[in-house]
Amino acid sequence: MLPKELLTDFLAVALFVAVGVVFAVVPLIISSLVARRSSGVTRDETYESGMETIGSAWIQFTAAYYIYALIFVAFDVDVLYLFPVAIAYGGYAIRDLVEVVVFVGILSLAIVYAWCKGVFEWQPKK
Amino acid sequence: MTETVVAAAGSGWLRIIIGLIVVLLFSQLNALFLVWLERKVAGHIQLRPGPMEVGPHGILQTIADGIKLVGKELITPRSADRILFVIAPVLVFMPVLVAFLVLPFDQHLIIRDMNVGLLLIFAFSTFSVLAILLGGWASNNKYALLGAIRSVAQNVAYEIPLLLSVMSVVLMTHSFRFSEIVAAQHRFWFIFLQPVAGLIFFIAATAETNRAPFDIPEAESELIAGFHTEYSGMRFGLFFLAEYTNMFIVSAVAASLFFGGWQGPFGFSLGLPGLVWFLIKVYILLFVLMWFRWTFPRVRFDQLMNFSWKVMIPLSLANLLVTAVVVKLI
Repeated sequence: MLPKELLTDFLAVALFVAVGVVFAVVPLIISSLVARRSSGVTRDETYESGMETIGSAWIQFTAAYYIYALIFVAFDVDVLYLFPVAIAYGGYAIRDLVEVVVFVGILSLAIVYAWCKGVFEWQPKK
Repeated sequence: MTETVVAAAGSGWLRIIIGLIVVLLFSQLNALFLVWLERKVAGHIQLRPGPMEVGPHGILQTIADGIKLVGKELITPRSADRILFVIAPVLVFMPVLVAFLVLPFDQHLIIRDMNVGLLLIFAFSTFSVLAILLGGWASNNKYALLGAIRSVAQNVAYEIPLLLSVMSVVLMTHSFRFSEIVAAQHRFWFIFLQPVAGLIFFIAATAETNRAPFDIPEAESELIAGFHTEYSGMRFGLFFLAEYTNMFIVSAVAASLFFGGWQGPFGFSLGLPGLVWFLIKVYILLFVLMWFRWTFPRVRFDQLMNFSWKVMIPLSLANLLVTAVVVKLI
């Protein structure tokens, strides 16, 4: 069983999320009730600046930044670990400082490595 | 006066319910006001008056626009992924109210002063990029897809400097609780102690809210309307509403983390109540965000990524280390 305060926290967040959903859905419902309905062949065509739609958008597409995304995943998880450290920081003589320096140092090596590997250079596609 | 009202509301569920009602009213009014303000600021920067017809100086223009949006038909493109397309605008609006649960409007005007306040806001702010990705992909529209891809790229680049700059502040306060973070700035606002973190936070926050010069997911002059090209009527309205409410949240977090929240400069309150101080700071920051949008040209995709990884992240890591050392020395 959760402590009462914590339970109230969770329920309050849940309440706010639920009301957020209701608040988003209600205008949509009102809108679908009052809005005039149009008709025509091109009504629900995909918009492409007035031209006829050419094919689907669900094709293979180069997300040229995928290597950034990989470093990001590693980084984001590491940054996550720093949050509890930041809370507890200062309670120990020198140990926490050393550990933070080591941790952030190794983290920084990832950027140095990516930089040397030329991840941050964008070449136009030939 | 606020003290008696807050005391009467107690700390239990009554407080949460009253807070919810106030937040609902406030977030709507705030969005209406901000949209009007944005158009006014844009107008005056471009040497034109902006909206003038509906109400004095066009103050009622946004209400008229809102009513018009409700009257517009909700069109779902034939080739779109129907379910995701419908969910996305709801998903983008869903988390915005949660942030108000922990934002400190005054010393006692916090609906629920949670011990994870700051984390809660960052956790829920991630939903907006998810919703943009869903909406952009589900539209099955090339512009929308490009916008969605760029939005993810932006998030990948700016989430980390944002978190690292916040971390520097948390290292000094040892708390995610907003009341404690603000109280720690009683004498000196953290913008004086952490100017680098403050600057990085503000730049990253501008990017996180997709505001110019980082508005490449929308980029109306190249991508029509970016991720919400296919959204019309109230669905577009929800994206819009969420964007302006998110702007308020980001400015409010910046004001609480770096500009002393409800406190006056250097411990002088100058007789103004905390709520007034807080709102003054937030709206000044919001004005700066708008000022950015109408004076800076948009950055290019690769410039955006590289600026983050080559400048902002190394700088925020260095700042974190310096903070860690200085905190030890004092």
